[in-house]
Amino acid sequence: MNRRQFVKWLSSTTCLGLVGLPTRNSLAQQTPFTDYKCLVSIFMEGGNDAFNLVTPSSNAEYNVYANARQSLALSQADLLPIFPDNPDGADYGIHPLANGLQNLFDSSNLAIIANTGPLIEPVTLSALSEGSVEIPDQLFSHNDQRDQWQSLSGNLPLSSGWAGRIADVLLSETAEQKLALNVSASGGNLFQAGNQTRTFSVGLNGAGKYDALENKANLGKQRRDAWDKYLAAGFDNMHARALAEVHQRSLASKDLINNALSLAPSFNSLFSSSRLGRRLRVVARLIAVKDEFEMHRQIFNVKQEGFDTHDNQNRDQPGLIEDLSHSMEAFNEAMIQIGMEDHVVAFTQSDFGRSLSSNGDGTDHGWGGHHLVMGGPVHGRNIYGTMPILEIGGPDDARGGRMIPTLSVDQYAATLARWFGVKEADLVHIAPHLANFQESNIGFL
Amino acid sequence: MPIKASLHKHFCLLALVCLISACGGGGGSGSTAQPTPAPPTGGSEQPAPEPEPEPIDISYPEAFRFLQQATFGPVSDDITSIQEIGFEAWIDAQKDLPVSTQLPYWRSLPTPEDLDEGHSNRMDAWFQNVITGEDQLRQRLAFALSEIMVVSDQSELVHTPDGLANYYDLLSQHAFGNFRQLMQAVTLSPIMGIYLSMLGNEKPDPENNIRPDENFAREMMQLFTIGLVKLNLDGSAVLDNGGRPIPSYDQQTVEGFAHVFTGWTFAGSTNFHTPSFDYLSPMQAYSAFHDSGQKLLLDGSVLPAGQSAEQDLEQALDIIYQHPNVAPFISHRLIQRLVTANPSGEYVERVAKVFNDDGSGTRGNLFAVVKAILLDGEARAAPTSETSGKLVEPLLRITALWRAYDAKAANGRYLFANPQSRFGQAPMRANTVFNFFTPNFAPAGEISDLSLVSPEMQIISERFSALTNNYLATAIYSQNSALPDIDSETIVIDITTELEFANQPEELISRTIERLLGGNASEALVENVTTMVNLVPEEEAASRVVEAVHAIATSPEFALQR
Repeated sequence: MNRRQFVKWLSSTTCLGLVGLPTRNSLAQQTPFTDYKCLVSIFMEGGNDAFNLVTPSSNAEYNVYANARQSLALSQADLLPIFPDNPDGADYGIHPLANGLQNLFDSSNLAIIANTGPLIEPVTLSALSEGSVEIPDQLFSHNDQRDQWQSLSGNLPLSSGWAGRIADVLLSETAEQKLALNVSASGGNLFQAGNQTRTFSVGLNGAGKYDALENKANLGKQRRDAWDKYLAAGFDNMHARALAEVHQRSLASKDLINNALSLAPSFNSLFSSSRLGRRLRVVARLIAVKDEFEMHRQIFNVKQEGFDTHDNQNRDQPGLIEDLSHSMEAFNEAMIQIGMEDHVVAFTQSDFGRSLSSNGDGTDHGWGGHHLVMGGPVHGRNIYGTMPILEIGGPDDARGGRMIPTLSVDQYAATLARWFGVKEADLVHIAPHLANFQESNIGFL
Repeated sequence: MPIKASLHKHFCLLALVCLISACGGGGGSGSTAQPTPAPPTGGSEQPAPEPEPEPIDISYPEAFRFLQQATFGPVSDDITSIQEIGFEAWIDAQKDLPVSTQLPYWRSLPTPEDLDEGHSNRMDAWFQNVITGEDQLRQRLAFALSEIMVVSDQSELVHTPDGLANYYDLLSQHAFGNFRQLMQAVTLSPIMGIYLSMLGNEKPDPENNIRPDENFAREMMQLFTIGLVKLNLDGSAVLDNGGRPIPSYDQQTVEGFAHVFTGWTFAGSTNFHTPSFDYLSPMQAYSAFHDSGQKLLLDGSVLPAGQSAEQDLEQALDIIYQHPNVAPFISHRLIQRLVTANPSGEYVERVAKVFNDDGSGTRGNLFAVVKAILLDGEARAAPTSETSGKLVEPLLRITALWRAYDAKAANGRYLFANPQSRFGQAPMRANTVFNFFTPNFAPAGEISDLSLVSPEMQIISERFSALTNNYLATAIYSQNSALPDIDSETIVIDITTELEFANQPEELISRTIERLLGGNASEALVENVTTMVNLVPEEEAASRVVEAVHAIATSPEFALQR
């Protein structure tokens, strides 16, 4: 999209959120949601090597894969077989340490979304080499492609994330909620940054307490009163104001959250003590007590670190996949225990898929990669999209074994947002390039 | 896109209340003095005809603000010194002070029993230097550089705390040196080599689909020197005819540099695949593993085939170093770390010019650059805008408190193993090479609407704002000199002088505001402190003092560098 097209896009939509003005929905009163739906994003930070998560297992396709991957190839015999209801002629297996994911797939609670990545419009190899197609800026740089995933900016000057914009367009329908629609168990992030709405950040045990301002502290009550009055008086510098607002939001919600969590099941025996396990555990506990906050729509963010396997991939990636598999299975079980399995969808994101080619003992930044969507509402046991040909220099290779995505993150996000309750006409606010793709709904929900 | 927004919409302007007389220190009685801007190079406001050396007329708040930018927290000795000799002479005096290093101190400690202790000792070394080191400006710059040329123990490097200490020393040693030499030292550091996988990077092996690792090649350009898009001298992006930024390089360029950085591993290794694990010496080239082909680099530059690993590396770094982006890129980042989150283009350009030529024809003189940053009119003029300045990095709030109250432990150590669990950051402990926060982070709302940034806000979440204040509360209420039976490891703030004024609340408060805020506090903060101090009975002198310190040190004003 060039500047002229951008201006056109801006005026064709009523999404003025870019410049901090109200979005369409806040102009008209909407009926509040009465049902409950929740999205949980698991961000695999550093760029997961998805081609070693879901791998071809039939001989012909496996051999192409093994030839490309060399010493990084998984053993054909070790792959855990999966049997999609929509076979494409090849067989596939899941990473040998991901039997949790295999179980979820078998029981139709998990879908695989093939070769997804940031796109502005559909890309073919020939169009790419001719330069006749628009692609996102700075594709192979980490934080830029991560930002592309989280913001769907393409080449637009967006400073918000798509979960943040979902919260913006649903502002009116969710106005009664007592906690921010977006909650992060992994700190601040672009994905949840809205134009009007903000993310609330929780720790592994809930919200942060201000020890000196607690009632039980000596003078705690008086300090809290004086502090509230001080913060409310305002500041003559924008940086101080931003910090003061965080304090105010933190103080306004911490007791509510911590009191509610004291009523939640611990799920201690379900989750491992990994960082991801503990983060998903606090998310599960917050979902369990959602009624305490009168929540009807929630988006949670958790991340799992360590996927930037330039080195020692064979040593490091298996443990990460095992942790992911175990934690997702535990989360699914937690949702079943609290009867929320039909209301919650968990899905993965990552900076990018990795290069097929090896740098000796690791891989570099790629483009497309496979993703996972889990939950009762998911039409599981299916592979959506098209599996790429894992050949270096093959028809899907942009360069050096970086797979050209065949599904865009816009399509992925729109499919999730539609299920979540975003109206068809508002999807363009969430996924600005959606109209460039034939299918606005990948169909997994 | 230009955006109009009214800063007055939500907040009213608060008058600054300056409680402290400009001479500071003495028995001030609450007389007021507005901080008057004194241009460092002198005198348009002074009666002009005076060829004598400029009289130094620096107020207490002005000296205090300068030291917020140049040190880990203003202390009275430095304030006095600046008022005597001026900003420039103070900076010049910093240049020749001995470098405070970490590795020798780390080695002088008892051998750590495990890695946790090794890193705890590394943190101790950092706090020793930034709390007590004389070479404050050098240390402040080294810390800034550690957030640009990032390495982290959240990686393989967890195995070598002493290697990390040595990397930080490398930054300290080059902080006032030449940028080209800094680039070389960082590139050849085995610590950076491990972190961004240049160490052990081999020439391509096409038969096995193995190509050189691109990690260091990419981040060296993107994060350490040039950035993603072509820049004007003022730091703004060069635009093409369609109004779009122009990429500085493409994937092929990254691949060219990836081939350059092949063939290096630990110095003194028996052979390339039998590493010595010498984490301290610069890496060494093994020619059999270096790609000897021709390399296409930045903007059409080419390295010929057949060169040695050393030749390729020297010339490739020269090419990066000579790129016109380096001056505005590094200038902007250093200004952001020291002075303000949103420097004007003119400010960036003035500093970038000094980077390009320090006046003697030398490029990359970092001491001249830091001097230009700190003496610039935009750094020195009294702030008049609601958008000026920056947040103090969370970790530098505790260093400022500790320096202000001369904090130390009886055993001479600074044992604080995990600052990141309280402040969201700790030296060389970022989650990724992108540092704790990115230079362009803007929190939603006012700042983002104005297309401005506040990088430090990226790690100030609801959770961390509470955790940080909790740590400060503990450091004040539970670790002060008035408490009995403090164990020898506890870092204690010294409130002895303040105790004398506990029965004069106004004096106590004005002294505390002087020490922690340079004399500037909003009316609302003064009211908050006054309320709290007066709630403590007069006979509980220490409680009164710590109540005042707590109210101020946890305030957003203490976290602000105007």
